[in-house]
Amino acid sequence: MKHPTMTTSDNGIVLLILSLACVGVVAGLYGFARAIGRTRPEPGKDVPASAGQMSRDPVWVRYHARYLGYALLFLAFDMEMAFMYPWAVVYKQEGVVALLDMGVFLGILFLGLLYGWSQGALRRQ
Amino acid sequence: MTVFLALVSMLLYIYVIAVIEASLRTGRVNAALPLFAALALLGRESIVPRKCDRIFFETAPILLLLSALLAAAVLPLAPGLMITDLATGALFINAALAYVLVALLMAGWGPDGAYALIGGWRFLGQLLAYSMLIVMPITAVAMRASSLLTTDIVTSQAELWNIVYQPLGFVLFFIAAMALAFLPPFDLPTAQGELAGGVEAEYSGVRLAVFRFGRLALITALAAATTVLYLGGWYGPWLPAWAWSTLKLLGVASAMLVAGHYLPRIREAQLLAWAWKFGIPLALLNIFLVGVLVLVLS
Repeated sequence: MKHPTMTTSDNGIVLLILSLACVGVVAGLYGFARAIGRTRPEPGKDVPASAGQMSRDPVWVRYHARYLGYALLFLAFDMEMAFMYPWAVVYKQEGVVALLDMGVFLGILFLGLLYGWSQGALRRQ
Repeated sequence: MTVFLALVSMLLYIYVIAVIEASLRTGRVNAALPLFAALALLGRESIVPRKCDRIFFETAPILLLLSALLAAAVLPLAPGLMITDLATGALFINAALAYVLVALLMAGWGPDGAYALIGGWRFLGQLLAYSMLIVMPITAVAMRASSLLTTDIVTSQAELWNIVYQPLGFVLFFIAAMALAFLPPFDLPTAQGELAGGVEAEYSGVRLAVFRFGRLALITALAAATTVLYLGGWYGPWLPAWAWSTLKLLGVASAMLVAGHYLPRIREAQLLAWAWKFGIPLALLNIFLVGVLVLVLS
């Protein structure tokens, strides 16, 4: 098995520089676009795509998230994934014990999914 | 130097994928089309909607591009040809791609437009469908490699590619990757002809150019991830390592684009139902099968 020659903090610095460079390039692009021409202020131009007028009410209203049943199940599964990654790395050396341990855990979680399904959670509300 | 080379090759991939996408749309292959389209967008006005949430509106395109770029940063194109070899690479791909959701929600919420807002919330529903199908197959890949290093994942496939070792995981990951990149038939947040562009609707000019570039970078990153995780990365006979990576990456991206070209847009309710009723049980089965295979073969 090959190990990285760089330390974690070195990796972090590379990724940080990459992120800053990306933001810098985009900012430069915005600056270039601004240099070759500006937006002329005209009435009605900055209205969001709707019927050509500002809507009477703000659109930042409550949106009915009809997938709320899935969202609750998702929380349980997403938490479980946090345990899966370290488990996957040591899986080979732990062998059958690891398979059985995670099998019981995933089995319970899967029963939860089946229970949710039977109770109508897997449906657009 | 390798960082620079990796970045340049990523840019070239993005350009070629843009050419493929454009030729699927127009029906003609025109190698200069993405260049002209980008120049045209640069020359156009970039309008900021009235009453927008300026911070969200400005952050969204950059964040989309950044998340794709960070995901691509840990994916090797050849031995040594990558931006950074992170010890938790396979996990980092997920972490970086999680920000795609944040970017699209910001793009939906920011401009105070009804179509954009619906597009943004729709993508949150789409995340509930695809997210598990991204992380669970990657777990199975990490089980075989006993490591989260992306280079170890590639070398674990020296004898047998993961597409043969765990075909179920590959199929699930491929479909979920298309949903993550909101490619047709999963283009619910943009939905041309239904939401007037959705999250893209209020962007114009240079901001739209950055948004679209970010989306193309996302497709590239996901094609690179599929190559590294399932198609044996740089392995292959006769040709040099980078050439195999390039061929596989562009092949995966073309397959995603062509598949979407011939499929009708899926409904959100069906996407969620299929993902949870079939996708997740199959992903769990994939983890179990790989677990047994790893124990039997070692």
